[in-house]
Amino acid sequence: MPPGLDNLRHIVVLMMENRSFDHMLGSLKAVDSRIDGITDQLSNPDATGALVKPQPLADFQGQLEPDPDHHFPAVDLQIFGGDTSPGRVANMQGFVKSYFDQQRDVKHSQKIMYYFAQNQLPVLTTLALEFAVFNRWFASIPGPTICNRAFAHYGTSFGRVDMNLLYVGEPFKSIYDRLINAHPKHTAKLYYYDTSSSTMEITNLLQNQPQLFGTYEQFLRDCRKGTLPDYSFVEPNYSDHDSDVGAELANDQHPDHNVQAGELFIASVYNAIKQNPKLWASTALLVVYDEHGGIYDHVVPPACPPDKFTAPPNDTGTGAEFKFDRLGVRVPAILISPWIPKNTVVDRTFDHASIPATVTKFFLGDYSPRSPRETNADVFIEANVAPVDPTRNLLSLDNMRTDCPDFGV
Amino acid sequence: MTIIQVPRPDPKQSMDPHRPVNALLKAQIQHLYDAELKLPAARQSDIYINAIKTEGEAADYVRRVTEAIHQAHDAAAAKRTKRKRKPGIAIAAAAEPRRGRKRTSPTKGKKTSKAKPKRKR
Repeated sequence: MPPGLDNLRHIVVLMMENRSFDHMLGSLKAVDSRIDGITDQLSNPDATGALVKPQPLADFQGQLEPDPDHHFPAVDLQIFGGDTSPGRVANMQGFVKSYFDQQRDVKHSQKIMYYFAQNQLPVLTTLALEFAVFNRWFASIPGPTICNRAFAHYGTSFGRVDMNLLYVGEPFKSIYDRLINAHPKHTAKLYYYDTSSSTMEITNLLQNQPQLFGTYEQFLRDCRKGTLPDYSFVEPNYSDHDSDVGAELANDQHPDHNVQAGELFIASVYNAIKQNPKLWASTALLVVYDEHGGIYDHVVPPACPPDKFTAPPNDTGTGAEFKFDRLGVRVPAILISPWIPKNTVVDRTFDHASIPATVTKFFLGDYSPRSPRETNADVFIEANVAPVDPTRNLLSLDNMRTDCPDFGV
Repeated sequence: MTIIQVPRPDPKQSMDPHRPVNALLKAQIQHLYDAELKLPAARQSDIYINAIKTEGEAADYVRRVTEAIHQAHDAAAAKRTKRKRKPGIAIAAAAEPRRGRKRTSPTKGKKTSKAKPKRKR
């Protein structure tokens, strides 16, 4: 069996906030043409009809104010360019129009097309080039944070496309429940930054199973001591706030929080794992974003097998129901492990349902019941069961790399 | 291997706890409020969520309710542990003669053994 899979004991997922693939990693097309990023042919019309091209003028903070709209109706406009007719075709031409709707400022609306130059994001771009970057990782639904994060926890959002209270409908268990109740038992934890930031999964997990949660300090300790659970989900800091140790800068990268703070956080998570050699050899870290935050991306989200739920027109806000049969906008996603060859580019399609699908398949094997969306989602780590398809296994090296980067934080 | 230095933002420039709450934090507050209503009154905060306007205020509310949820569960777990110990203590207590109270025994006036009953350890 491949040694990368034989050695794998821990999967860690760090889910950041509200930035699209082109916005964060689009610059890398110029470095590696296999990476589906920014080209000169891309554009969006503004409110005057003029074509606005993407430009490497993104700022770390203070630019995307107001927060670009990323609720279902706005994302529908972004993807379909304002076409609401039956049989419409997605064209990714509505981003500038959508941002214009918020302030009626033509010049300001064009900033939604800005992206970061490679040297502005040394952590994310280095990781993308050093490990496996996913060309086709999409948000699970064309909508906001909480329902997208639900796909990462449950493989479904139980029919929700908004930010309202989301109560779990049986029988789809969270990935944490599946692991801790398995025979033999596995371990799982969600690490939130601190209690002032907390988690976005309150209604079900925090309220009923707070023992599943730890803080980021505990994550760092667990990495040092080698007591990380089989599966860990890490949440960034969602707010600027004071704490017992001083000022804590939001590091989730949600507009208008400082993007550099998020770079430091990603590096910190990576370093924590890498600085424990046993852990580094036995862990795969996925850095992914929950949704695109209303920011431009050029890749049309594909259709997908529908979920068993339908969101009614009142919930979608578009006048039409949604059967969860189309993915959301593309987001940055990078898989990190010393068993992954440098410069790996993955073209298969994934969304956040791939997270519980992968973790379940790797640790538990066959499992039901699961949502149709999760059952149909691709996995990013193959199960360590013969035969392992070498064309799909990303942890494919025979020998562990010794040339992986280090970050000075 | 070269160490890639990661620039650190200046908190004085970037930090703004007075920043207006974004839609995500508003949703988080709403979800926490729903959870808070289920807490015993003594564990609920005195914060009116509609008055939360800034990130700093949001963080304060988030902390209070998150910690209250943890504490409520910890308290319930502690009670459960205490209740599990109770059956052993009750048997020992029943076996001991009660101090300061007259024993009303069905054998009163009759000759009985004066040996003290053994305490269950």
